[in-house]
Amino acid sequence: MTFSLVLWTFIKVAIVVSILMLHVSYVVYFERKVIGHMQARMGPMRVGWHGLLQPIADAIKLFFKEDIMPSQADKSIFYIAPIIGVLAAIGSIAVIPMWDGFAIANINIGLLFILALSSVGSYSIILAGWASNSKYSFLGGLRSAAQVISYEIAMGLSLVGIMLLSGSANLTDIVHAQSDYWFIFTQPAAFFVFVVAIIAETNRAPFDLPEAETELVAGYATEYSGIRFGLFFMAEYAGMFIMSALAVVCFLGGWDGPDIRLLAWVPGFVWFILKVYAFIFFYFWIRATLPRYRYDQLMSLGWKLFIPLALANVVFTALLKLL
Amino acid sequence: MTFNELVKKVFFIEILQGLALTFKTWVTPSVTRQYPTEKREPFPGSRGLHALVRDPETGREKCVGCGLCAAMCPSQCIYIYTSEGEDHKKVVDRYEIEVLRCVYCALCVEACPYGAIALSPHFEYSGYTREEFYYKKERLLENWDKYMADPRGAEYLDKFWGPKSSDFELPDGPETGSEERKAS
Repeated sequence: MTFSLVLWTFIKVAIVVSILMLHVSYVVYFERKVIGHMQARMGPMRVGWHGLLQPIADAIKLFFKEDIMPSQADKSIFYIAPIIGVLAAIGSIAVIPMWDGFAIANINIGLLFILALSSVGSYSIILAGWASNSKYSFLGGLRSAAQVISYEIAMGLSLVGIMLLSGSANLTDIVHAQSDYWFIFTQPAAFFVFVVAIIAETNRAPFDLPEAETELVAGYATEYSGIRFGLFFMAEYAGMFIMSALAVVCFLGGWDGPDIRLLAWVPGFVWFILKVYAFIFFYFWIRATLPRYRYDQLMSLGWKLFIPLALANVVFTALLKLL
Repeated sequence: MTFNELVKKVFFIEILQGLALTFKTWVTPSVTRQYPTEKREPFPGSRGLHALVRDPETGREKCVGCGLCAAMCPSQCIYIYTSEGEDHKKVVDRYEIEVLRCVYCALCVEACPYGAIALSPHFEYSGYTREEFYYKKERLLENWDKYMADPRGAEYLDKFWGPKSSDFELPDGPETGSEERKAS
């Protein structure tokens, strides 16, 4: 009994992680295409039909590139940092319910688990910045630390409203609680804060200060090359995928599709993935539109606007719940 | 802060306008031309590879070896060697251009009183060694046959380098201003 359970979990993990990695590599392609067309370019076109094999070519290139280690680097931490990032990003997929009853680990603290792992993920950036022993990396790491601390609070507070409404931190229960109406309609302020906070949390434009190309070369990843750089890249996009999935689960009704009899045969997973990709598209759209924020603007936005807004939302929701 | 500014700030009107713009660009076709597979005809008169004009009557170069182009060339990449041929005529032995140093200013074309050098619109030439880009006279004449053969070359010279010495007639009568020049 125990053995079969372990085996079944392993199989599930293998399937989900390999599918996730495939999606991650094609999210990169999707991003390049979308941003390219938003800038009146075409994006990748030469490898395969409309550049469809580009992610594979990129992966092969990254695997075979030289792994350079700076001579003054802190070697063990330098090696470990990208692995922490990828593990934290991929680990979060365990608690995401992709359709009714399917989550690798259906635990009661799913929401907290994801919040905790996303904080662990920021460690990889800070440690990479520290271990590289380079000023650009170090500045990137410091920025990431400050950014993650400020936006984690707003993000956590915005999810408190969800927990209050659904009365649970179990992600499957949260989706079930949205069977009447999605939480985006009852918690619009929380949704807004959450969207901005996860953009900052995953270090995406316009909050990509830890890896701001124009100022810091490549920020925390400056000294990394080859597949170690690839791991950071993977962690970023996997993190984006996870955060989009979390947004879909918490605010957009998870696997819940439109209530039309004609579409009743479509499995919930399809709705889930469609919503996730719509959200990821929104990420790209924002990136193609907005320039990078200045560091002090980012901080004042986080502390003076989003945290008070999220707090007010929590108080308001709690009062409504009491009445 | 006026009311309008407040509304703008709270509802991110400007960010929404930006999003609308990027979305509009996303749905309109891109402007990229996929170069090696999708080529554009160069505009007439564009300055590309050099060519020495071949005189259709003699079948040789029109160049007389006066060296004005070499003197005018800002990057000093034209080398002309002449010798005295039969009947005391000047013969152009070698006419060589170091193409890698050329800046495509076309001052040589402008300087030439005989319309003997041209810049053809051909721009796709690449090679693996520097020596390949040291063009000798024969190669420059071949370029003319390849890229500027009639009627393209004649049209090019007429249209873009029109006023030549042949376009002007010598004035009849005495030279004007010669009296004053003598006085001074």
